[in-house]
Amino acid sequence: MDVVITHDGRNWVIENDRLRLASPTLDELDVELARLMRARGMVKKGQVAKVFMGFDNATIPEWMRPFAQHYFNRVVEVRG
Amino acid sequence: MTSVNRKWYSGMATQEDWWAVYLGLFFFFLGLLSIAGVDLVGWAVYPTKWVFNVPEGGKGAISHAFYALGSKYSLTAKAFYKSLGWWSIIWTYVIFTIATCIGAASMKWDLKRFFIGWTIIYFLTIATWFIGHHAFFAANKTNWHQYGLNFALSLGGGASFILALIFGLIIGNFFKGFANYLSVAAKPEWYIKTAIVFLGVKVGYLPIKAAATSAKMGQQMASLTGHLFLAGAVATIVAYLIFWPGIYLIARKMFKLPRKTAAVLGSGISICGVSAAVATGGAVRAKPVVSIMVSALVVVWAVIELVVLPGFFTHIWPGTADPLVAGSAMGMAVKTDGADAAAGDLLDEFMRNKVTAETNGAVVWPEGVITTSAVMTKVWIDMFIGLWAFVLAMIWVYKIDRRPGETVQASEVWHRFPKFVLGYFAAWFIYLGIFFANGAGAPEGMHVLKAAKAGAVPVEKGFRKLFFMLTFMSLGIITDFSKLAEAKFGRMVWVYFVALFCFIIPVAIIIAYLFHHGMQIPNIAGQVAAG
Amino acid sequence: MAEKEAASTSTLAGGEYEAEDVLADAEPWEPIETKLVVWSFIIAGIVLVIGLFIVPTSVLH
Repeated sequence: MDVVITHDGRNWVIENDRLRLASPTLDELDVELARLMRARGMVKKGQVAKVFMGFDNATIPEWMRPFAQHYFNRVVEVRG
Repeated sequence: MTSVNRKWYSGMATQEDWWAVYLGLFFFFLGLLSIAGVDLVGWAVYPTKWVFNVPEGGKGAISHAFYALGSKYSLTAKAFYKSLGWWSIIWTYVIFTIATCIGAASMKWDLKRFFIGWTIIYFLTIATWFIGHHAFFAANKTNWHQYGLNFALSLGGGASFILALIFGLIIGNFFKGFANYLSVAAKPEWYIKTAIVFLGVKVGYLPIKAAATSAKMGQQMASLTGHLFLAGAVATIVAYLIFWPGIYLIARKMFKLPRKTAAVLGSGISICGVSAAVATGGAVRAKPVVSIMVSALVVVWAVIELVVLPGFFTHIWPGTADPLVAGSAMGMAVKTDGADAAAGDLLDEFMRNKVTAETNGAVVWPEGVITTSAVMTKVWIDMFIGLWAFVLAMIWVYKIDRRPGETVQASEVWHRFPKFVLGYFAAWFIYLGIFFANGAGAPEGMHVLKAAKAGAVPVEKGFRKLFFMLTFMSLGIITDFSKLAEAKFGRMVWVYFVALFCFIIPVAIIIAYLFHHGMQIPNIAGQVAAG
Repeated sequence: MAEKEAASTSTLAGGEYEAEDVLADAEPWEPIETKLVVWSFIIAGIVLVIGLFIVPTSVLH
């Protein structure tokens, strides 16, 4: 599954057309994501789902983007 | 609209980094056509020294203050380019306006504002170039009498750079509304990255130029640029691996900063400023605001370094005795590609004029070698930072944060790779290949090298200098010194100050000395006298 | 907190935080940081020594 990750100044935010989550730390975000995916049956028991989180570089102020075009992408494995 | 680097080709149409490659290589290829006898770049505008009252038998008429470089170097259309004179300003404006507007449209900028901003910045730059080439600023004691002067500041082309920066800073700090309007077109990173691709033509062309004196000198120059390449690589890696932990220690132990802030500062204050701060911020999964705050500091401090260091290195230490130590140290000390390359070119102008004045014209260094030494270290660190960020990401994800299930992808290295260096190396190696493939200065290949020169000079001299000027002007426009006084930076301002002056600059000079001490720039005084 | 309505994801300006958000709450120094710093210096030293030998323009030549 692919989601876009951003930061709104307080929270890390992930979203795609199926979900939207926000949390002040990545640790909590990952826990919430795993809980949500299990609750919705997006990952079955015993399975491992890979979630690709691509950082939206539009979050970085425009004046900084010419210097660096990439913040990070992360991949998180969610176990069912 | 989101902007995620998902695929290896993400951002190829929308990132300035890529557009520096396209713009740079497009004009590089236009220049290359001179080998086939087609001169399409001779219209490149270039200034020369002038005075209001030309002495009898002297030079410096205002009517010749701007000329098309093809009028000197073209082999096939010299008469046409000679007829352009000041009109070369308009030719250059029209062609670069089309090229940059295509880029701006592709990057989805406000095209109307870019066009107006670009036009204002271009003509301000040309006016500054003109003023800066008044003989009082630009002539030195070997030639000021030709302009009817008994004294001149001997700044060479450096005067124009300083004036462009000053004018830009006046706009940026006293006319903030106007500066904000121009900001759509005040793009120092785009202009300098394009200029660095043009610099690649310069580095490749240096042996061809030197070969006009002798084949041996051409080969010496090729060897010198190769040595700069190798020495720059090693010096940069050593410097970064000392800078980063040093700053990290200072920030953590002396200033009691949190881990992630210290890590981002460590990269930001080290060699490559904003790009490193962003790369490291992402690698250690810091909140983006950490990188934003560090970057806001970096851009202001970089301009302070740009103002202070070229004069310091030229007149205090190491001076003309070790010009490439100075250039290399500049690359390791000044943050951001724009400020570093600009500082390197300013140093180049200062050093060359100083050595010529000191020796009464007996020693003349070719333009651009010192700039190359400054940019070489910067290019290496731009590439290295991607690897370092990858290492930090693995340490943070697997050892420090230890978040279950998270993995770090190798593709991060590519996404952080500075694409403009591809254009720089391509331009360099292709001209170097032309040099070696045609006898490396041997008489039988000289006709090809002369044809190559006709297309290379307008690019490496005319376009490169113009884009350096645009960089200086744009840097000034976007630099707001009042940001330094903003209390929200808190201790970071002092970490930066202590780290830069007590650690980064001294260590940069020592490492540059270890790898570049004694490197000599070939003397082309004979060639200048003959030419 | 799951499925909490997120704030809009627009560009950050840098003013969203006070300095203390970035400068405060320094964690205690951990052994992994010592390792990171020391190994950086060690690798720098190794590259320096090798570099001084292989770079023809170094002070050793």
